[in-house]
Amino acid sequence: MSVTEKFSAIRKGLLEFLILRIIASDKVYVAEMLTRLKTTEFATQEGTLYPLLSKMRREGLVDYEWQESDAGPPRKYYELTSKGKSQLAELNDYWKYINTTISQLGR
Amino acid sequence: MQKVISINLNGNAYQVEETGYAALVAYLEGAQRQLKDNPDRAEIIADLEQAIAEKCRRFLNAHKSVVTDGEVDQIIREMGPVDAEPGSGEQAGATGGAKAGGPKRLYLLREGAMLAGVCNGMAAYLHIDPTIVRIVFVLLAILTKGVFFFVYVVLAVVIPPANTPEERAAAYGETFNAQELIDRAKRTYAGFTASHGRFGDWGRNWGRHWRRQERQWRRQFDRSMRSRRWESAPAFVPPAGYTARVVAGVMVPLLTVVSALLFWVGAYAVLSLATERQAFGVPLSDDLPLWAGILFLVFLYQSAAWPLHAARRASYHALGGPHYAAVAALDGLLSVGVGVCVVWFAYQYMPEVRELLRTLPDVWDGMRR
Repeated sequence: MSVTEKFSAIRKGLLEFLILRIIASDKVYVAEMLTRLKTTEFATQEGTLYPLLSKMRREGLVDYEWQESDAGPPRKYYELTSKGKSQLAELNDYWKYINTTISQLGR
Repeated sequence: MQKVISINLNGNAYQVEETGYAALVAYLEGAQRQLKDNPDRAEIIADLEQAIAEKCRRFLNAHKSVVTDGEVDQIIREMGPVDAEPGSGEQAGATGGAKAGGPKRLYLLREGAMLAGVCNGMAAYLHIDPTIVRIVFVLLAILTKGVFFFVYVVLAVVIPPANTPEERAAAYGETFNAQELIDRAKRTYAGFTASHGRFGDWGRNWGRHWRRQERQWRRQFDRSMRSRRWESAPAFVPPAGYTARVVAGVMVPLLTVVSALLFWVGAYAVLSLATERQAFGVPLSDDLPLWAGILFLVFLYQSAAWPLHAARRASYHALGGPHYAAVAALDGLLSVGVGVCVVWFAYQYMPEVRELLRTLPDVWDGMRR
């Protein structure tokens, strides 16, 4: 089993966290999120992202608004709700905590 | 030349080639299945359609108005499998299984087939090498002194052929496209070189073997794409369900044998009416002319044969789909075969028939006079 395979479940689990971070930095639509993830270890596809975003919206973490675009039909621009912002803060802290644990354990 | 189908993706009209259309339908149906318990299903499907539409637009310009099969394949690869339970780590393994999609079914596989694709289809179903299945079939045919060959013929007629990409996927019980096949083989190869040392003799040999295999797969896939293009029927016939096609597979030869027998019984009746003025022991009434009797027999034959013909036509469509003409032609051969058997059998075992055939020239002379 290769290194990337061993961490595939972890990468998948981290996707929601990363999406929250991306949306927090800027109002984005799906194609932009995909481009930003594309060059990273977390590259994903529409088939995964749309169901994930709809789940996050159901949980009240994100919301979207329609915006006209210069080219083509209107797009859904996503933004964080207040609940999403507080969740992101918690997740950021927890992620730091995990990293400290990892660096302290063994070598 | 390839038939083009217009589609509506979330309010955008696009023209795609026929096979690409089938692939899109399969993808969106798969998405529907995956999301069946999701309260936002309709919205997600609309989002996915919108994303596909935007990708389609990328391939179109003022001089190109149709999205080709290859482009649809690429779009679907970019979209990726639809994930029912996104974001949960435990699902990582399960999505691999979910990608497997529909139920596994036994189909005739024409790509890389030697005859009708029976062994090929069985090999795909059982996930073994088609050569092994073929050897087993040949051995059985030899051991049963050729009887097993007829089993093959019956199977070739009864098992429906896989015509669409979705059916081909069902034949393997998993998603089937060239890229995936190649990816799978690459993974196996990577595992092999890792365990044997990339620079050993073995590794080199396998590298050569692998490259040859890859070329072969690509060629095979191209050929299958091309043949699909050329063989598609001019009219779009909606594909029949699996059960309907199994039923049609049994019905076509049965109906053909019955119709052929009916024809020859009718022919015998007309002949005996002409020679002996009676058919099956029913004498022709004296005040009726011969032509009226024959007309009556023809009418009787037609009223029995017409529904049989209609049922056969419908079964061809269900069975053959785009290969409608080939099925009809094979069926025609079967009719001729039955005819030859009937005449030979009657000539061998029914003295009346032999007698009748001997008097034919006299009857002919009588009618001319």
